[in-house]
This record gives sequence, structure tokens and C-alpha cells, in this order.
Amino acid sequence: MSTDSAHAPASARTAESGARPADSRRTGTPRPRRRNRDSLAGYVFLSPWLLGFVGLTLGPMLASLYLAFTDYNLFTAPEWTGLENLGRMADDEKFWASVRITLIYVLVGTPIKLAAALAVAMLLNYRAKGTGFFRSAFYAPSLIGASVSIAIVWRAMFSTDGPVDGALNLFGINLGGWIGNPSLIMPMMILLAVWQFGAPMVIFLAGLKGVPAELYEAASVDGASPLRKFLSVTVPMLSPVIFFNLLLEMINAFQVFASAYIIGSGTGGPGGATNFYTVYLYTRAFANNQMGYASAMAWVLLLAVGVLALILFRTSRSWVHYAGDSK
Amino acid sequence: MFRTLSRRTLTGVAALTASGLVLAGCGGGGGEPAALDADEQITLNYTFWGNDDRAARYDAAIAAFEEEFPNITINDTFTDYPSYWEKRQTEAAGGGLPDVMQFDYTYLRQYGDNGLLLNLEDYFGNGITTDAIDEGLLSTGTLDDGTFAIPTGYSAWSVFQNPALLAEAGIEPYEGGTSWGEYDAYMASVTEAGGGTVYGGTDTTQRIQDLELKLRQEGRQLFTDEGELGFTQEELAEHWTEGQENREDVTVPQSKLEEINPVSGFGGNLTTSEMSWSNFLGGYLGDSGAEEITIVAPPTSNPDEKDLYRKVGLMQAASASTEHPEAAAAFVDFLINSPEVGEIFGATLGIPASETQLEGANLEGPDKAVKDYLDSIENRMGDAPAAPVAGFGPLEQTFWDLGKSIGLGTVTPDDAAKQFFDEASVTLGN
Repeated sequence: MSTDSAHAPASARTAESGARPADSRRTGTPRPRRRNRDSLAGYVFLSPWLLGFVGLTLGPMLASLYLAFTDYNLFTAPEWTGLENLGRMADDEKFWASVRITLIYVLVGTPIKLAAALAVAMLLNYRAKGTGFFRSAFYAPSLIGASVSIAIVWRAMFSTDGPVDGALNLFGINLGGWIGNPSLIMPMMILLAVWQFGAPMVIFLAGLKGVPAELYEAASVDGASPLRKFLSVTVPMLSPVIFFNLLLEMINAFQVFASAYIIGSGTGGPGGATNFYTVYLYTRAFANNQMGYASAMAWVLLLAVGVLALILFRTSRSWVHYAGDSK
Repeated sequence: MFRTLSRRTLTGVAALTASGLVLAGCGGGGGEPAALDADEQITLNYTFWGNDDRAARYDAAIAAFEEEFPNITINDTFTDYPSYWEKRQTEAAGGGLPDVMQFDYTYLRQYGDNGLLLNLEDYFGNGITTDAIDEGLLSTGTLDDGTFAIPTGYSAWSVFQNPALLAEAGIEPYEGGTSWGEYDAYMASVTEAGGGTVYGGTDTTQRIQDLELKLRQEGRQLFTDEGELGFTQEELAEHWTEGQENREDVTVPQSKLEEINPVSGFGGNLTTSEMSWSNFLGGYLGDSGAEEITIVAPPTSNPDEKDLYRKVGLMQAASASTEHPEAAAAFVDFLINSPEVGEIFGATLGIPASETQLEGANLEGPDKAVKDYLDSIENRMGDAPAAPVAGFGPLEQTFWDLGKSIGLGTVTPDDAAKQFFDEASVTLGN
């Protein structure tokens, strides 16, 4: 799962801030044959991954790139239609609705999730009894959150007279079930995403541990308030980690599928409110047999996320601060 | 791990399916069907859609089959209807359809015309007995190149009612076959007495069968002989608008139905009536836990018009790529003709198409009620429409999804009608 792989870059980043190890090639005489053997061994060790990448990722991706320009219904051979799929997409109201729903989910859900992750990470950064327990407890949902069973449990929790409805009724709030209500299902989906803040939280926690205590001491000597310290010390020192989390969570949020598929009964219900981009793509591909159109949608998503990531990288120059940078 | 069901995986599947198609193309051919070898150990995969009730019946039927054919083992799986077809589409493209499948008339053309199904005609008189099957029903499985599926039985559109719920509400049951106005009045009286927990029925404009019924009552059809839509966008918008008053304060709110999906409002004891195919009776009994469910004729705007028809729904079919076609044929034959299977299923797969199975079914209780119902509407039974156009399955689902969205108020009938026609032009254009 992506949550596991997420740790590696963060820790690598902190380790990297030191000086690079001396380049051995420059000190000794060049030994090309040895180097070739080394790189061959490297590729041999890489080969399981490379095979998987080429066979299961790159190949299918290229195939879907071809299919994106065809009309392909799974039963008969693909028929070249050029840019017709893109033209249809532009006119497809449901497509644009799915884009809107996904953007709301990403733009609202991701910042809330990161804010929650950072807030809890800061709380857990204090040395107090039981932090170990709370760290695990807060991390647990992100391990199981994307699973089908959790989506089913949430479905039950948020239905009419379910635990959530019942609890709200106690406070005189009568919203009824959230599952069948098109305007409440999105808040519920966002809540489900925010609840899984464990992965970014752990990364934030690692980042917080890396902020030198001297900086806080110096700020205290200067009479800085806790808020000032947060804004002027924590945030800048943490900005690489914030950037990393933001990028990762944004990309993940665009790909939300399993929870939306289960909660919306696979049809984007109620009333198309959970018709996320990926759900719609799936419907087009597997319910409507329009593989060409679905492939085109997949590539549009890839490009759109790529462009957004590029924009993030560009803006990062102005707000992400690396400790090693000269000022 | 479910995050892997992402765009990347989907495109992966798309590509795999492309290569699978080539493989599927190579899988055809073969010579004369061989006789079934009684010594060879064979395992067949079987799959069906349905609920727990149906699953229990299939388990019993499979046990009976395995007793008669000790060398054949059947592995069965089941799921609900929409995901059933999603799975089959991928398998079809990848060349991995199960050996034997419960099949739907709706998808027959798509699969049969593309060479994905075993031509059962090769086994007629040689593994599959057809003598006892009603000829008209048997021919529904026939396409240009052969017979690719055999109907288990037939059913007709009907109104189901739950007497226990009605008694609680203190309302007289709907008598059936009246005007639409009287059915609406019945639903309204139940909803009023139900106090927000029980409703009279479900939106009667939501499903494509609702529209078909109204069209047939005007002497028209859902599709023209050329396979085009038999109604206009304006008529569809009007059809959906007609349900507006009922949706406001009579029929069960769609939001409640979304919560109990895939169980229907009637199955979930939220409504005292629901319109559906008559073979749904067994499923309804299982879902609702009701002791008795009654069945009457749908309302009509024109009692003289032959608006109802014998609907072939469930069929049994085998995959063209099965490694054991003789065993697959034997299993199909057993499911269609065996009196034992008749006894197990009763009328839950429709009133059996095969005489031998019908005799074995020894219809009693609720099954007899279905048979009696079908006999009682004989004078309203007209000709069945032609085999559904390719792409009807997805279109039917789109219609229903839009009907639900209208119920939730997220789309107006006008917009929904436009979306349906946009979709139809793409689907039927294929």
C-alpha cells in the first residue's frame, strides 16, 4: 500500500541533508569493466521489478494510450476514431459532473486531512505518557481505511437511525441518513478520507522531530508567542514535508475508488453524488463496455494530475524551504 | 490493497483484455461433440446472480446433479445483477467465461453473436433433451448461428403485495388490473396510514419496464422493428414527470431505498407493494421474511390492450471456450429438465419452460400463486417483443439510474430524458 512506501522518501530526505559521500570514482583510476559488471548486477537485481513494470504497467499503459483513440467495446476489435473520444468527453455532462465532484473532494478533503494530520502530529510530538499508544491508534485507520469492509461499515454507520444519525438526534439535529442523501454524501466521503490521516501524520511527526530545538529556544528568548513559533519556525522547517504530503495526498485523492464504489453501490449513487472520476471511468469501461472512452478518460486524468503536480512543484520554489539552502 | 483498483490497473486490464480477445478468437472450432466420459474427473465453474434464497436452491440443485454425475464437480459463485455483468464482460474479453452460466435474455445477442457461447444445438438429442420444452420459449435462445441459451422459464410483469404489512396499516389490498388512478389512491392510503415507516409503493416511472408497460397499453413498443427507440425524448420526459406527484408524498423516498440497496423497498419491508417480474416472488419472500406475498395484475390505462407478455428472463448458457462441453451440456440439461430441479426452484426462475420440470415442480403455495396469476392474465398476454437489441442491458441500467436520480431530485425529468437519449445514441450506434 502507498502508506508504507510513503515513509521512505521522507526519511531519505532528512538523511540527504548532510554532505554527499565522496565520489570514489574521482579518487581512484577509472575501471570501466568493473563498473559494467556492477551495473549488470544492478539490473539483474532490478529485473523482477523491471519485468513487472514493463509487463504490468508500461505495456498496459501504452495499450490504453492506443485504445484512447479507438472505439472498443470488448467484443469486437478496436476501431480507430482519432480524437472522437475527447470530443465526446467535452460534451458529456456526466463527465464534467464527475470532474466537479472529484475536484471538490480533492480541494476540500486534502487540506483538511493535512491540517488534521499536522495538528495531531504536533500533539503527539510532546513527550507524555501513552503517546506510543495514541500514535498507533491514530495511524490504524489509514491502514484499513481504504478497504472494502470499512466502506461497508461506514455505509451502515451513516444510514437512517444508524449510530451517527442516532447520536445527532440526541443533540436535536435531524439530518436522517447520510447515505441516501446526495448533499450529505460528499461530507461523509471527505470525513472518511480525513479519518485516514495516519500516514501523513507519521511523516509530519518525523519532520517535527527533525526541527532543531535550538530554533524554538532562540525564539523563546526573543519572546515569540506559540503561534509565532508555529508560523516562523515550525511551518518553514516543515515545508518540505508539507510539500511532500500535499503532493502525495493530492494524487491519492484523485484516485479514490474503492470507498466511493462501495458507498455509492457501484452506480455513483445516490443521484450521481459519488460518481467520482474513477467510478465513472469504471462504469464506462465495465458496465457500458466503452473501453476506448474509458482509456481516454484514464489518460486525461493522468495528464491532469501531472499538470497539477507540475504547478505544485513550480510554486514550491517560493514556499518550500530546505534547511541546507543558502539564503 | 484495494487502492490498486486505480486508473493504472484499469488500463492494465484494458490491455490484457485486448490480448485476451485474440486468444478468445483462437478458442473456437472443434469437431463433433464427444459423448460424456463417466470416468473422467471434471470440474465445472458455474455462476449466477441472485440472493441468498436462490443460492440455497442452487446448492441443492448442484448436490442433486453431483449425485447423478459423481465424476463432475460444480464450483459455483454468485453476485448481484449489476456486478454480475461487469464481471462477465471482463471475462468475455479475456476468454475466461465460466463453463456454465445463468444467463439473461438481455445480453444474449451481445454474447451469442460474438461467438462467446457454446452452440447448444450440437447437443440437442445428444445430451440435451428438448422434447419437453415449449417450442416458442426454446426459440428465444436461437440466433442466426445456433441456439446459445435455453430459458429456464417465463414470467410476466406484476404487482406484489405484502398482506401482513397491509393488515398492520389497516388498508385493503390492491385488487389489481384497475386504472392507474386507483393504484395511486391505494398507494397514497397506505403511505398515509404508514406514518413514515411504511409506504404504498415505489415510484412507478423509475424503471424502463414501467415505460414499456405504458407504451404497450397504447399499443406501442419500447423498440421499433429496426431496433430504434420507440418513443421520443419529450415523451420520456413526460413519463418521468407523471411520477412527480407520487414521488413527493406517496411513494417511498429514494434516499431510503439507497440505504438498503441492493434490497428493494418491498424486499426491505418499506413498501406494501412493488411492480416486478413474477419470478421475483421467491427472492421477495427471502428478502422480506414475510410469510405470505400475494401477486395481482398491474394497473392499466386500456384494459382491452394486450399489454403484458411472457417474458423469458433467466436462461442457462455455456461458454464456447469450455474444456468440457459435454459435461457443460449435461449440466444445462439437468438445470432445464430435471424434475428434481423443478422441485427445488419451484417458480423462482420463472414458471418452468420444460414440461418435465414443471411436473416435478409440483407448484404449491407461493409458486402456485404465480402460476395462477399467469393463468389469470391470459387475456392481457400479447406477443413478446423481439430479442433485445445489443446494448439493451447497459441502457436499461442507465434508465434505472436516471429514474433514481430524479427521485433524489438531483436531475430534472427533462435533463434525465436528454441524458438518456445521448446515451442511447452512443449505445445503439455501436
